[in-house]
Amino acid sequence: MFKRIVTTLAGLAALLTATAVGAADPVKIGFSHSKTGIFAAAATSQLQSYELWREQLNALGGLNVAGTRRKIEFVHYDDQSNSGKAVQIYEKLITDDKVDLLLAPWGTSLHFAIVGVIERYKFPVVGNTAASVQLRDLKAGNIWFLTSLFPDRQSVELAKLLKKQGVTSAALITNLLPYTQENKKFVVPALKKAGIKLLVNEDYPPNVKDMTALLNKVKNAKPDAVLAYTYPGDAVLYVKGAREVGLNAATQVVLLGPQYDFFAKIFGPARNGLLTMGHWTPLRKDWPTAQKFFDDFKARWKTNTDYLDGPLAYMSVQILQQAVAKAGLDKNKLRQVISSATFKSINGPVRFEGVENIALPTMISQIQNGQQHIVWPADQATSKIIAKPAWK
Amino acid sequence: MRRLPAAPLLILAGGMAVFATVPLYGSDYIIGVALTLLMWIALTQSWVVLSAMTGYISLGHAVFFGAGAYVMVLTFGVLPFWISVLIAGAATGVLALLVGYPCLRVRGPYFVILTFGLAELVKYIVINIEAALGKFGRLLMGAPSLDQLFYVILVLAAGSMVITYTVRRSRFGAGLRAIRENEGAAETVGINVARFKVLAFALSAIIPGMVGSVVVLRTTYFEPLDVFNPITSFTIVSMAIIGGGDDVPGPVYGACFLVLLQELLWANWPEIYMILLGAFLVGFVLGAPDGVQGRLAVIRRRMAR
Amino acid sequence: MGDLLSGQLVVATLVLGVIYGLVALGLNLIYGTMRLLNVAHGEILMLGGYLSYWSFTLIGIGPLYSMFVGMALAGALGALVYHFLCRRVLSASKLVEQIEANSLLLLFGVSIILQNVVALSFTATARAYPYLDQIIPIGNFQVTANRLVVLVIGLAVCVACILFFRMSMTGLAIRALIQRPDAAALVGIDVERVRLISFSLGFGIAGLAGGLISMLEQISPFMGFPFTIAAFVVIILGGLGNLYGGLAGAFLLAVIEVYGVALTSASMRSILLYGVFIGILVWRPHGLFGVRGAAR
Repeated sequence: MFKRIVTTLAGLAALLTATAVGAADPVKIGFSHSKTGIFAAAATSQLQSYELWREQLNALGGLNVAGTRRKIEFVHYDDQSNSGKAVQIYEKLITDDKVDLLLAPWGTSLHFAIVGVIERYKFPVVGNTAASVQLRDLKAGNIWFLTSLFPDRQSVELAKLLKKQGVTSAALITNLLPYTQENKKFVVPALKKAGIKLLVNEDYPPNVKDMTALLNKVKNAKPDAVLAYTYPGDAVLYVKGAREVGLNAATQVVLLGPQYDFFAKIFGPARNGLLTMGHWTPLRKDWPTAQKFFDDFKARWKTNTDYLDGPLAYMSVQILQQAVAKAGLDKNKLRQVISSATFKSINGPVRFEGVENIALPTMISQIQNGQQHIVWPADQATSKIIAKPAWK
Repeated sequence: MRRLPAAPLLILAGGMAVFATVPLYGSDYIIGVALTLLMWIALTQSWVVLSAMTGYISLGHAVFFGAGAYVMVLTFGVLPFWISVLIAGAATGVLALLVGYPCLRVRGPYFVILTFGLAELVKYIVINIEAALGKFGRLLMGAPSLDQLFYVILVLAAGSMVITYTVRRSRFGAGLRAIRENEGAAETVGINVARFKVLAFALSAIIPGMVGSVVVLRTTYFEPLDVFNPITSFTIVSMAIIGGGDDVPGPVYGACFLVLLQELLWANWPEIYMILLGAFLVGFVLGAPDGVQGRLAVIRRRMAR
Repeated sequence: MGDLLSGQLVVATLVLGVIYGLVALGLNLIYGTMRLLNVAHGEILMLGGYLSYWSFTLIGIGPLYSMFVGMALAGALGALVYHFLCRRVLSASKLVEQIEANSLLLLFGVSIILQNVVALSFTATARAYPYLDQIIPIGNFQVTANRLVVLVIGLAVCVACILFFRMSMTGLAIRALIQRPDAAALVGIDVERVRLISFSLGFGIAGLAGGLISMLEQISPFMGFPFTIAAFVVIILGGLGNLYGGLAGAFLLAVIEVYGVALTSASMRSILLYGVFIGILVWRPHGLFGVRGAAR
């Protein structure tokens, strides 16, 4: 009995390899994904963008590898939102699975974690969902960052925007997690330079459950602007609390939260007028594929993409796609093309200098009529800044 | 205990020698898996000295792992790597001595959640310190190579086994087990219960601190939420329960079982491996309520009959 | 100082206290009667949240109705888990420590299964829906309607439970089992039946709490763990197995969270919370209202 199973399996395997060799071999693309753990809720859209891209290209016959179309095959594992696990996965992908290409994991900390591995193997990776000044200071040669949301420049632009809006005083509340802390570090001096007085400046821990007391303090200080440097979970607490205590400053910045679909679902029109970070919107007519990505994502996943990670992930595979069309799968050629060529993306042109995408200026967004518009700087804006209406 | 006491030691020494050759032929991935396995053996082994021997279940050993990592981060680039590892061990030992006396007055499930709370408290203190220092996650570039880290962890794992082995067979260990069986009775026969418990606590804290200080260099990135992750504590306890017993083999069985099982499931069924892992845990408790060791003992008894 | 007495903060404290209280009540019941450490408690809450979310978004039935369905289903799930899994742990383990250790591992496994089945079915994306979110002015402050609803229903459930434990035969039997597990069988209590009811009721309350909480915050497959932890802290504070102590612990935690932040700084929130928790345990090793010996 056992023998028969083995023979059948062997025959089946032979058959499969035969058919696979008949066509061009698929391209193996590996990455780790935070399927479980603390990043899981935020990391879903990244995977959805990757999958969308794979399905789209495979429907066209596959990825163009220097002239030959080859089907895309993903090899991905769950990193449990753990940087040690992510390191292990990229080592496995490179040395054990021997993948042809790599995609990025989710978030700044996992990007940091894999830099060591990809440098050791000189394996080029286009990063996506990471933004930290520390990343820019890395003298890495095999990773590039798409976003322009680096806290130092973002803070300077935000201070300019506030000054132009006539803001003279502000309250700042900041989650104790890394990205928000980094923004705080840069925005405090930027506000000072712009002559904006900081009336409240308090941190809160990521496991906060109720913000009433904190927001009461903010309200009593009567600032012109509130800067809520949140992560998506506590952004919900902020908006609920601000509505309840009647915190009606005409300028309210909520750093992470308004970009996500669940935030739109829970607050609907109440989020209109909130300023937030982001450099992508489907509304830019000069980014012709932006609206298409938005629609395709919705058609495939029956949910809206967020305005940060979904598009960033898609951009990163678009760049890889164009680089592979030119350079094939050779790591050295690939590295050279990525670091020198100009690429088209759903977020406009992309060109790297060092690790940075210099074709994309720093921007600030605002929710207006249920859509996310770019409102700053003026030459990039899809709409003018509006004063935040009082909470209803 | 009538079996030759040297035999298990020889087996372990042999095992370690085999492990020591892994970097010679293994890919980085294999070395990484071996490092992870040794890390869990070291952590679980240390835990056994306190929790399995005295019955005081700690659900907060992540605090020592994290504190050790933090010592490394603070001294990284300032002190040589070796010195930092030793300081990390000393610091976590002292931390355990300081908090041990008040905490070990609390017993049973109260102690379980108390240790958990302690780990969370230290985590948030570190988070606040980092914020006050204007740090937001630290990148540690220029760490020792994977091979070097592997050998340090190998030594720590071996050290943890020697500690468990020695304690288990000493008067000190007998005292600890007397505390587990009946704390009041232990006190009346003249065991200094408070001192024994605090010493065991400190002894079980040193190796995890050193392990944490090494492992943070493998990931090259430090964030308090990551190194003080309560999942670390849960995993240690799971491995110890799966392994069973209060001696050297238990943690080795538990760590091997869970690490290799996870590796197997994770690489072959990436979509549902966590569900399978959960099912394994459930099945394990139902099938072997005394752990692997208990199961093996039953089998051995049957063979002997 | 007048700010501290404002209705705003009082209501915030009460809402938070009621949530902690409800979550802890079920956990306490399961631990008190059987010494089972239910680390899957938060996952039951998560399931309740998903049920309310889907019944609202798919068929338009609000959480005020669906949470009772959630309670019933969670109760049924509890009965199944008890019958097929926990009962065997109880009969296979002789020592209390062994029950605690094995149930910790068993229910850890159950929690991993539940989290990942939900993540596989619905993805890990956070989800939320608006429900009763209009602002209601009360005197010189205002409250969101759904928070008032949570407060009222939560209090009602707590009162109902207290009445149940005081008045009904089953409730008295549960308390007897908590206080004197060895003697309960001698006085003619059907221990097996009471355990099944306690387990099922514990899960049921968690399912109901999940429905309530889904009105206030977003839900995701991995939302349960922090609630499990909060619930453990609460029942340890109040004294394990002491149902009223648990409620007191819940409100104490809420007071620290709201007034601690008001008096010091928000960044101190978690340090205060765990600091007070540890301080109380060191001062009173069996919790605020625990009786020496009863929990062991």
